[in-house]
Amino acid sequence: MSQPVLSIQNITKSFGDFVALSDVSLNLQPGEIHAVLGENGAGKSTLLNILAGMTQATSGAILLNGAAVRFTSAVDAAKAGIGMVHQHFMLVPTLSATENLLLADMVEKRDWFSWPAGNIRKRIANQAASFGWDVDLDARIDTQTVGAQQRLEILKALQGERKVLLLDEPTAVLTPGELPGFFATIKAIAATGTGIIIITHKLDEVMAVADTVTVLRRGKVVHHGSTAGTSVQDLAREMVGDASNAFAVLTAKHEVSQAVGMSDVRIMLQDAAAVDGESVLRCGNLAIRAGEIFGVAGVDGNGQGALAALLTGNTELGAGSMSINGDDIFPHQSVSPRSFLAKGVSYIPADRQQDGLVMSMSIAENIVLDRVSEPTFTRYGMLLDRQAIREFAEREVERFDIRPADSSRIVSSLSGGNQQKVVIARALSRNPKVVVAVNPTRGLDVGAIAYVHRALRAATANGCCVVLISTELDEILALSDRVSVLYDGRMSETMPFSVGKVELGRLMGGTH
Amino acid sequence: MLIALATCAGIVSIAGASPVAVAQALLQGATGTQYNISNTLVQTIPLLVTALAVIVAFRAEMFNIGVEGQFLLGAVFACWAGQLAVPGPVAVVVTLLASMLGGALWALIPAIMLHLRGVQIVLSSLIMNFIAVQVVAWVVRGPLQEAVREYPQSDPIRAAAELPKVVAGLQLHTGIWIALAMAVFFDMLLRFTVFGQQLKAIGNGLRASKTMGLPVSRILVSTVLISGALGGLAGGIQIAGVTHFLADPYSKGYGYTAIAVALLARLSPVGAIPAALLFGALTSGSSAAQSAGIPVVVLQVIQAVILFSILGARFTRTLLAKSGVKS
Repeated sequence: MSQPVLSIQNITKSFGDFVALSDVSLNLQPGEIHAVLGENGAGKSTLLNILAGMTQATSGAILLNGAAVRFTSAVDAAKAGIGMVHQHFMLVPTLSATENLLLADMVEKRDWFSWPAGNIRKRIANQAASFGWDVDLDARIDTQTVGAQQRLEILKALQGERKVLLLDEPTAVLTPGELPGFFATIKAIAATGTGIIIITHKLDEVMAVADTVTVLRRGKVVHHGSTAGTSVQDLAREMVGDASNAFAVLTAKHEVSQAVGMSDVRIMLQDAAAVDGESVLRCGNLAIRAGEIFGVAGVDGNGQGALAALLTGNTELGAGSMSINGDDIFPHQSVSPRSFLAKGVSYIPADRQQDGLVMSMSIAENIVLDRVSEPTFTRYGMLLDRQAIREFAEREVERFDIRPADSSRIVSSLSGGNQQKVVIARALSRNPKVVVAVNPTRGLDVGAIAYVHRALRAATANGCCVVLISTELDEILALSDRVSVLYDGRMSETMPFSVGKVELGRLMGGTH
Repeated sequence: MLIALATCAGIVSIAGASPVAVAQALLQGATGTQYNISNTLVQTIPLLVTALAVIVAFRAEMFNIGVEGQFLLGAVFACWAGQLAVPGPVAVVVTLLASMLGGALWALIPAIMLHLRGVQIVLSSLIMNFIAVQVVAWVVRGPLQEAVREYPQSDPIRAAAELPKVVAGLQLHTGIWIALAMAVFFDMLLRFTVFGQQLKAIGNGLRASKTMGLPVSRILVSTVLISGALGGLAGGIQIAGVTHFLADPYSKGYGYTAIAVALLARLSPVGAIPAALLFGALTSGSSAAQSAGIPVVVLQVIQAVILFSILGARFTRTLLAKSGVKS
């Protein structure tokens, strides 16, 4: 083997107590396409950010053509010959392609005065032609397709003496039709001797384009080898792991009686479609019974937002059919979170600080946030019964072990875990019939995770059903009675919890 | 505060006058005589009520800067209602209720645009101000013009529709009690009612309030209407208590000054009382000082410097408090 163009040696990165990357090593040969595979939070992005100079490793070394380098900024990395294409494009939408490339050139060279537009245009045109691309250098970025924008990002990343090209989830923005062309380009660039690292969680892609693959799990390299010697099954198993873990404590007890009849169906979706912002649900199918936890697995950005919004009245049903507690919801029927609350649907949103809590208000105020107008908390119909609110909140604070146990504390002064407990206390305190929980333990420590899981379990004992939408496969498997996988806005068939991680991991990667 | 005084003194000296004399004139103008105190309070009333309008809306993050327009429409409605043949003591009540209706109707237009299309209140309410100015210009030349049809102004409202004076012979009218009562009432409303609590939640966390199922739209629309009604009431009080007729142009920019008063009061309705009083004193002090021969521009600069120094002192205190917590 020749000398690697890029060599990562024993990189460790920690944020406080949290170790994002632990002793990661990797070699990249000139002309090699190397895939880095892993789940959300496995450490892929951290690794990429270190290579691109956006953050620094705690320990370990990076060697570029055999020489140790240390980047303190993205510009440093670019100067040294590492180009990066971000998942979210870094182009100025109102400028033309030429202007964007010129801007990047100026930033890198710290040269704000020369205006080498002619040179750049010629260079880009030649390069584009060599890939067989037809790029419009004068149209504004925001008038061009996403595929065209990505080609410009790649051209931008390839300017100067590039030895290494980093691609972060490059296919996330492309349509299936654009994929073959994209893969061909990647291979063409590699053929010129540039080493390429491609970050992805899609297994098909790895097999289609990469020469070698490194699998990260919880910040550690768990697999390394050529794609020729491995299979999708193997990679899926490596990616999700099958050893015991933080969630295993809870896996023992699936007590729910599977004998509950279909007459007890609390939520039903049939070929349901919905849109919420950028999140799209194309085809949702599920039927959840009382007392059941239904897990929806999947990598972020595959329609989770739209599914949760649909189930909580935050967005209307676009097509298909839906019923909640026996009430039918029709396509384009006007809905509101309030009407869904009245139907007994409680919501534990993914973004607790934005969607779940009013951060500048107290624990008590947040616990009764949507209920202050109820007779329990009012006097004469319109005055707040502060004492009733405080007593109620203090009961919940005790029941959910919120710390500090002071219901007048402002929520923003609580730890993330305790903030989440406030959200959960509110959701469960109204004795819901349905709980929709999205990533309910994201960012929490092990103790808090176990707590949240117990609380969700306990809720089902009273006949409540839980829709658990989570990117944590372990969490899904630890809690759910039945599971489905959301990929590209489509839900897979419903499976029993015993289906196993490998199968789920495969579905999450979009292979069938 | 010392810096503010020094700056003021500097500016006055540059303008070629004695700082001490100017300060004396200002103080004298604001509080020197019974008449001056009365005048200060008269200036305070519209500022306080319009500031309350701003506070209620701003608490919900509804940046209603159209209080000026709502003030004008309130004045128009009051002027019309004040001329109706309504018996005795009911007349003044009808006049003031009409002014609230006028202000609320004027705010209804931005509220509808917000509700249906999500048009930002800050924009729509501002634009409504310019239309309101023209509405006043039109009514005093058209439907409400004085019977002799000489000047662009209305006939005075009937005596029964006027707000009585507090002390005979002084300008000060009973509108002061209405303004103070409103300040206390809205302080209670925001603190102790369900509506106030929901308004607080929406103002501090709009997304969470929406996601968690608060009746956001209903509360925001009613907040804007309440704000408009208060703006209108200020106009009505001005008609019933001070001018008794409508003229073009009518407002002295109370609706705009109100924003400064509201922010100075940190959006506290009761806090708006001293804040409005300060501005009222500056205004009446200035007009007295002006007649003593001090140029109006210098007086405006002094007002601005005082405002800046109060805000600056508060900002510095906040910074100190923060660094204190950290260390």
